[in-house]
Amino acid sequence: MASMAAASTSLQARPRQMVTAVKCFCQGSRSNLSFTLRPLPTRLSVSCAAKPETVDKVCEVVKKQLSLKEGDQVTAATKFAELGADSLDTVEIVMGLEEAFDIEMEEDKAQAIETVEEAAELIEEILKAKA
Amino acid sequence: MVDKSQVIGLCRSLLRAGRQYPDYNIREYAKRRTLDGFRMNKNLTDHSKVEEAYAEGKKQLEIVERVVKVYSAYPPKTKNIMELKLQ
Repeated sequence: MASMAAASTSLQARPRQMVTAVKCFCQGSRSNLSFTLRPLPTRLSVSCAAKPETVDKVCEVVKKQLSLKEGDQVTAATKFAELGADSLDTVEIVMGLEEAFDIEMEEDKAQAIETVEEAAELIEEILKAKA
Repeated sequence: MVDKSQVIGLCRSLLRAGRQYPDYNIREYAKRRTLDGFRMNKNLTDHSKVEEAYAEGKKQLEIVERVVKVYSAYPPKTKNIMELKLQ
């Protein structure tokens, strides 16, 4: 009887342990999943917070606006001034970006844009706020 | 004293206002004219000329905003062919 009681208690104890163990396992795998689901900066060589698709689209608009040849390099870190754009060209580029992404940028934020990177980040910020 | 950021701000306001025209031709013209106008005066150094150009730009902005309202009351019924996407 005593042994049976002991066995039953031990049996009861074990599932609980197992349940907690399973829970920990689930939580661990869930947190691992959440990390792997977001392909954050570890994949990108540049430490930018903008998605590569946004950066690519921005680069496209910039190339078209400034009429750059195919061979010219436009990356996330490129400054508009490096591509030969003055402040008026920058305003035009920002307007083109607003049309391409269908957003409205604020005056002071738009004036602060100097690189492709900053433009892409601001665009994503606005898109996130809109959604 | 008109500084660079004000000029850029004026350019942006003019471009934004010009975007609201319902008619394709006037819309494109407004964009082209503002960029040409600002580029033409981009190298002005004489301060009074800069002020003059800035005042002119402000006047044009008022005009654009007013005319946009009038034109929006009677928008064109069909889309301009330039606005249609290539098929």
